[in-house]
Amino acid sequence: MKVDSNVAQLLTQVLTGEVWPPLADRHGYRVDPDGRAFFLPGMGGVTLDVHVGDAATGHAGDHVEPGLSVRHRETGANYALQYLTCVGNRVEVTSGPAAGAAGFVIGQHAYVLVDMDPDDMRNVTAGDQVRIIARGQGLRLALHPDIVAKNMSPTLLSAMPGGTTADGRLEVHVSAIIPPEAVGAGAGMASEYANTDLMGAYAGLGTDLSLGLEGLRVGDVVALDHQDHRFGRGFREGWTTIGIISTASCMLYGHGPGPSSILSGPSGAFQIVIDHDANLKSFHLDQSREQS
Amino acid sequence: MSDPRLVSVNLLAYVDQGEVGTDPYRIDRDGSPYVAVGDGGVVLGLRLGDSVFDHAGDHAAPGACLVHPSGDAGHALVGLACLGNRVVVRSGAATGSIGAVLGKRGGGQRVIAVFAPDDLARLRPGDQVALTSRGQGGPSPAPGVVQMNVAPGALEVLGLEVSNERIAAGVRTTMASRQVGNGIGRPTTMWDVDVQVVASDPATAGLRLGDLVAIADLDARTNAGFRRGWMSVGVVVHGASPQPGHGPGVTVVLSGPATSFSVHDEGESHHGLTEETLLSMAGSED
Repeated sequence: MKVDSNVAQLLTQVLTGEVWPPLADRHGYRVDPDGRAFFLPGMGGVTLDVHVGDAATGHAGDHVEPGLSVRHRETGANYALQYLTCVGNRVEVTSGPAAGAAGFVIGQHAYVLVDMDPDDMRNVTAGDQVRIIARGQGLRLALHPDIVAKNMSPTLLSAMPGGTTADGRLEVHVSAIIPPEAVGAGAGMASEYANTDLMGAYAGLGTDLSLGLEGLRVGDVVALDHQDHRFGRGFREGWTTIGIISTASCMLYGHGPGPSSILSGPSGAFQIVIDHDANLKSFHLDQSREQS
Repeated sequence: MSDPRLVSVNLLAYVDQGEVGTDPYRIDRDGSPYVAVGDGGVVLGLRLGDSVFDHAGDHAAPGACLVHPSGDAGHALVGLACLGNRVVVRSGAATGSIGAVLGKRGGGQRVIAVFAPDDLARLRPGDQVALTSRGQGGPSPAPGVVQMNVAPGALEVLGLEVSNERIAAGVRTTMASRQVGNGIGRPTTMWDVDVQVVASDPATAGLRLGDLVAIADLDARTNAGFRRGWMSVGVVVHGASPQPGHGPGVTVVLSGPATSFSVHDEGESHHGLTEETLLSMAGSED
């Protein structure tokens, strides 16, 4: 993205985390939009099979978190991990048979989510330690004071197409526009934490549930209409939030694949360009480009 | 005698104090800090019929919030409590006072109970109350419609009438599912849905505590979620919030296909639930 920013002023903080196991309760089942009970994998652990660029719907899963799901055992340290980690940050595995392998952050979902090469990922499991090179919070775009940036690494910023236009707006390429009806769980929460579940992407269920979002992919850059995520997540006419789809298929009602928020401001401050290639995969967010 | 299939349970609850984190400030939707007042606990000076916007509060409810300190017992308390259920104070200066459940809010955490002002003023956080829950599992009043969070007889008290398999509902206003914030994707027996409305919008400027409202394209039979052609009806149980994604809270009482409802937006002529009506209902419940 061709845009003046304060990247040179940003600090890098080295954090640790641990691949967290999936959690269930003894009743197991949850309820889908049609009232049917299900028990499906998705959250926590190391979820193979789903990487950036892959479909974000259609899996037999719930709240599918691609790759590694990372937390910290201490509450305060965990908030630091969840709040300070940004999309595109480098992550290194530091224990277990995959020690030395590296990946990159694709978003947050009350876990930091990490994608990496499938051959490396196969050797990671719950309990393995990781090191996160956190950099990005505090980012400002000098010529776009109305737009708040967050959860966005300098690597992601530089890799995204677009930038400041001749008329002073910020051109952002997105692969989908999300209507405000789609916003599910995550509304009202801090926008540095977890993500915004999108309804209307229940592939295979009724048309009365559909908002045309069944084609979303993991890593897609999307524009959320009428959403102001500068200081939390809220509906607001005339505001736009840009996010990166970081979680995939969901069957729990009111939930769905979700974007981590990266830019938010008045709609007029953006020039949105529909671009099928607006996906982390196309940006080649190779972790070697992130500082280590 | 109400529907004999329903099961009543005597529950123990405690009057809530409300909590604030280590930092006194919350951040409003424009990024300004504020101190939250009235977010739980015993709130004086706010009553059913008051505007949701007229007080400098955050999620302030008209009465006292009731909690149970044990997590799962708290979930049971909130999940089972129904609008109109009787609350009896068992300890402290207000012992013997009778209140009524108005609604619930926030992740199985709090029941909102209404008391007469003199009784409310004598409450002390930590006072024990007995709450007799009755209502969950109530019959479907119209095809495809699920009833929840209301005591037997409460639908009539709320002015909801069933004829020809349709529910006639006179509401303050009908909102859109896109306005639902916190509470979306959560189970409506545990959680209210905050509606993201502001005083400057004429459609919702007149919203008052105790109002009946409708939300279009919201299916709230289990979790609340978007479903085209559905309708949910509920009661406004707490006031507005400066936080983004939050706002006045609606405890849902009916949800089903829009074809099973005949909703009439009454606007300024709407009369919501009053303290007198609600307390009278709880007082006569047995």
